[in-house]
Amino acid sequence: MRTKSSRRFVLGGLAGVTSLALSGVGRAAPSGTPVRVGSTLSLTGPLGQTALVHKIAGEIAVEMINKRNGFLGRPVEWVLLDDQSKPEVTRSLYENLITVDKVDLIQGPYATAPILAGMGVAQRYQKVYIQSSMGIPKNLTYDMAFPATPFGPEPNKSYPKVLLDAMASTKTPPKSISVLTSKFPSAQFMAEGTRDEAKARGLNVALYLEYEFGTRDFGAIAARVKDANADMLWLGALGLDSNLLLEALRKLDYVPKRHFHLYPAPGPLAVSPDGDLALSSTFLEPAPPFTDRKDVPELAATYKERATKANVPYTDLDAQGAGMYTQWQILEQAVNGAKSLDDKVLAAWLKKNGADTIYGKIDFNGPNNHGPAAQMVKQVQNKKWVVVWPANFAPPGVKLIAP
Amino acid sequence: MPSLTLLGQSLISGVMLGGLYALVALGLSLSWGLLRLVNLGHFALAFLGAYLVYHLGTVWHVDPWWAVLIIVPVFFVFGMLQHWVFVVFRVTELTSLLVTFGISVIVESILQWIWTADFRRYETHYAGVSLKVGPFYVPWLELVALIVAVGLAWASWAWLRWTYVGKALRATAEDADIAAAFGINHRLLSFLLSGVCAAYAAVAGAFIALVSTLAPSQIWAWLGVVFAVVIIGRLGNPVGALLAGILIGAAESLAMAVISPAWAPVVSFTILIVLLLWQPKWL
Amino acid sequence: MTGVRPLPALGVGSVIVMLAALPVAGLPAFYESFLYLMFYWIALATSWAILSGFAGYFSFGHAAFFGAGMYATAHLTVKMEVPFLAALPVAAGVAALLAAGIGAVVFRLRRLRGELFALLTLAVTFIVATIILNTPIDGGAGVLTSSVPLPRVISSSPSGTLYLLGLIVCVGSLAIAWWVSRSRLGMGLFAIHDDEDVAEVKGVPTFTYKLLAFTLSGAIAGVVGGVHATYVGFLTVSETFGITVPLYVVLMSVLGGARHWAGPAVGAVLIAASLYTFTSGDQATIGRGIVALVLIVAILLLPEGIVPTVLKQLRRRPVTRATPPDAPIATQAAPKRSDAPVLVVQDVRKSFGGVHALRGVSLEVRQGEILGLVGPNGSGKTTLINMITGHFPLDGGSIRIDGQEIGHQPAHAIAQRGIARTYQIPRPFAGLTVLDNVRLAAMFGGTGLSGAALDAEAHHWLAFTDLAGKAASLPAELNLHERKFLELARALVTRPRLLLLDEVLSGLNPAEIDSAIALIRAIRDQGASIVFVEHLMRAVVQLSDRVVVMNEGATLASGNPREVMRDPRVVAVYLGKAHVA
Repeated sequence: MRTKSSRRFVLGGLAGVTSLALSGVGRAAPSGTPVRVGSTLSLTGPLGQTALVHKIAGEIAVEMINKRNGFLGRPVEWVLLDDQSKPEVTRSLYENLITVDKVDLIQGPYATAPILAGMGVAQRYQKVYIQSSMGIPKNLTYDMAFPATPFGPEPNKSYPKVLLDAMASTKTPPKSISVLTSKFPSAQFMAEGTRDEAKARGLNVALYLEYEFGTRDFGAIAARVKDANADMLWLGALGLDSNLLLEALRKLDYVPKRHFHLYPAPGPLAVSPDGDLALSSTFLEPAPPFTDRKDVPELAATYKERATKANVPYTDLDAQGAGMYTQWQILEQAVNGAKSLDDKVLAAWLKKNGADTIYGKIDFNGPNNHGPAAQMVKQVQNKKWVVVWPANFAPPGVKLIAP
Repeated sequence: MPSLTLLGQSLISGVMLGGLYALVALGLSLSWGLLRLVNLGHFALAFLGAYLVYHLGTVWHVDPWWAVLIIVPVFFVFGMLQHWVFVVFRVTELTSLLVTFGISVIVESILQWIWTADFRRYETHYAGVSLKVGPFYVPWLELVALIVAVGLAWASWAWLRWTYVGKALRATAEDADIAAAFGINHRLLSFLLSGVCAAYAAVAGAFIALVSTLAPSQIWAWLGVVFAVVIIGRLGNPVGALLAGILIGAAESLAMAVISPAWAPVVSFTILIVLLLWQPKWL
Repeated sequence: MTGVRPLPALGVGSVIVMLAALPVAGLPAFYESFLYLMFYWIALATSWAILSGFAGYFSFGHAAFFGAGMYATAHLTVKMEVPFLAALPVAAGVAALLAAGIGAVVFRLRRLRGELFALLTLAVTFIVATIILNTPIDGGAGVLTSSVPLPRVISSSPSGTLYLLGLIVCVGSLAIAWWVSRSRLGMGLFAIHDDEDVAEVKGVPTFTYKLLAFTLSGAIAGVVGGVHATYVGFLTVSETFGITVPLYVVLMSVLGGARHWAGPAVGAVLIAASLYTFTSGDQATIGRGIVALVLIVAILLLPEGIVPTVLKQLRRRPVTRATPPDAPIATQAAPKRSDAPVLVVQDVRKSFGGVHALRGVSLEVRQGEILGLVGPNGSGKTTLINMITGHFPLDGGSIRIDGQEIGHQPAHAIAQRGIARTYQIPRPFAGLTVLDNVRLAAMFGGTGLSGAALDAEAHHWLAFTDLAGKAASLPAELNLHERKFLELARALVTRPRLLLLDEVLSGLNPAEIDSAIALIRAIRDQGASIVFVEHLMRAVVQLSDRVVVMNEGATLASGNPREVMRDPRVVAVYLGKAHVA
């Protein structure tokens, strides 16, 4: 499987190089009436933390597409609306985009609730719907909805496998694990999977705890983690949960031996004194070998520049930004590959051909249009996230550090 | 059965958390109880304070304790200005909700404009330090927050109870007309109190910055539990707010340790309902 | 209800028909969902106002009922495959039960008003949310409802169905709020809003009414939640039970005017529409700030809410004179004075904490007599009146009217038996006009009148107390003398068997006292028995047939006014023991 997909990746890369060469030779800049692509982001409200990251990455993607050939030789225009983190507003804004603004194509928003709210609209108007952050694939029930991130059809099984494989490869693999999770749908889903996989591998699940989404104080939870004293801590964290829990543990004079974080805010965790050697999942980091992929160096550099300018605290390209870029890459390849703006044609093309993205080759041939999973494990080393597993994706000289 | 160490440790962290709740609740309780203004903007103000402390600390390397000293007077003036608007437009208890909601949204927009909506975390070397007492650890920052909360609650109580200004404020809250007949200048006093409440928001904000998460939308995350603290502690009663904060914090924390963190709200809010229905004498 | 004119039925009807025809008019679907969200917020805010706006019981827990309806619908349609339309009544029922359950406990305790009620409802929301989050109803994974089959009401899309359901729920809740505001229930709720204790004493069954309003409010919120469950397509506990719903319904109602049936709707339309003013990605942050600023300015300029302010402006222009209707008022033959007792108080005891306010008081009031009740401050006169009207429960003893024991009946039932009282410091319902104050008393005071006869009766007693010219005024516009007479009018309109007057003369000037004395005589001549609490001895001696003197919670002396006043024990009480010795 891996060989096959990497071969495809090479082919895709070649195709990319060719097109790059062609554009270098002097293909005319896109012209004519723009192709309008509509979408919403939660720019304000409680989901707003990562909206700016998506916005910056999306704008870069559109610029880069327009620098190439646009969509079918026409420039691309992104009609971006703010859904205010409200699913009901998301729904009506997608209806607005499709029935009033009459955009040609749409893109998905981010975060589970807005994605599902928009998906219903897309389905009713039979629009191709690409999104990058829906953590529960079985909820992506619409046959023209495509994931831009290679979660795989069952991330609750594939995620823990990759992580526990990585752990098993270390000198002293953990014998017990504490699983904690926020009661946030996609986090809890992964936590249950991890618990089950750990049990199946004979690890002792010393503690399994669910806490309320938005918990402010981790003092008591930290006391229980310390009490359980497992070899590994798996945390279904969102945002700053990770920082707060690790800090609460430090106050109890306890440092977990190994700790994994599901969806942490990457910046604060990397720079935190407690974040050293923290583990998390990723599909791409702006470092070798990923920087050998087409678009990645330009994207990472531009992103860093724009993010710094916009005062975003963590300026490295992360999963959110990369996912957004991939969404646009997939749409670009579908339109230019199928030579059509017709959603049904695009969907059929995508299902048949997949897409070559900065994440590598993505296929949509599995359940709910999910292809094979491709997650990796990353770790904070010297206050920076680096991929450590599978080893062939780690930068030269970097290894998984574990006791 | 959880170990005694676990129980004790959870109780400690709950009491500390309660101190933080009380710190946020103090200003809200005073302005609601004594001025009959429900200041939703208190949370926004606290977060503005938190961001300022964060900014002063991370960009200009000002120590948080000095940062508080800088922003407290600024907030005091802001509180008076805000009250000036309330007085000019004769804002009532009901309309104060709407006005201060608007202020909160504006502050939220400003926070997002300057600092983006992304999470911020103020890392200080105080953060992980604890005192070890027997088998228990008392987190230093939270302990300071609790001490400050106790200090402010007690000082506010004493101020209201023993000074002329405080007595006058309470008299005015009881019956503004009669108090006015006794020559109490309600307006002047209410400006003073509004300034103090805003200053309390600054202090609370500093501790939020030091121990918690910063994101503009977090303004709304504290609303429910702090409202509960304010009301159960009796409006305008600073010591009540302190005790209520500790009660709710401790109940939450123990429930997290003994049952499950996800069920904790049921425990603490059931206690609250029972207290309200039963109303013991000491409350 | 003040100032509501019957809406031109034709106009309302045609607007509804036009809105209902929208799905087939071929407008872009966006307008359907945009309008649906208006309907959604109107229905939610209006349902909240039925208890919280009308009766002033601010609930901060509207999300509990809304969420209960939402999850009930989701659970039934997704997990049990119940048809969507069949699930909606269940959603209403679940939410109504929840509201009734809370109300049945909370409304029994008089002290749980104001912010304590808000806190309780907030706490209940947290508990309901946590239970749903930790049980299989949600479990934390969220519930996907987007695949619930929706009935095709007309040949349009499922979104057309939701639009129509939204319209029905919105129109329905507005109709209910309108109907409530003009009904007996609404009148009672407005009175509860202004002064719950007085409302109860005037005969409003406050507990039942609050419970009814709360249940109704919850049921509507439940249906709204039920419809909305399929609109959003995916439910999570944090979204459903978050701060948005309880906060927004309050803000919308305050902006539009919570006490008027149409106020919350107006506020809802403005605030919900404002969410769409700045949706463009580049202005989002600033846009929110601007909307908030507009909101602040609006409420600063219209502090009473939009609808009441507009109505006030409309009312001010044409000077409407309340013209008394011509309907004849029922006259009743005045029963003769006799020695038959109307009220018998026997050995009534009451203590508050350790203070014995009444230590076994006995007295009787005879048919058609004026009984003067005197005594120094703190002797228990007002407490005794409060006991007779049922404001406080008895610790011991009995109170009978016409031979029937009323000592343990709720105040509103006692009022309906023909006992009326006035308050020493007038306590009119501040939000009701003078006329409505009197109408309310007649409506609930056991007169059995309604419609034109009720109005005629109210106008009659306004004229009797010289307040006819003030019928349309609010109590705040009256002077003390007029407020005292309003107290009288509210008592008289019930044609009481027994009238308890608590210091009606205090604070009046000599000329006003004379007119009041004449008035009280006139009242007695119509057949009422009167208990007359007064400090002013001149009036007591002039008016009373008999006098009872109270001291330290017990009766000290009784009999002919002039003789009793000469009793050395009475003199001692009034002037101090040393004087006698």
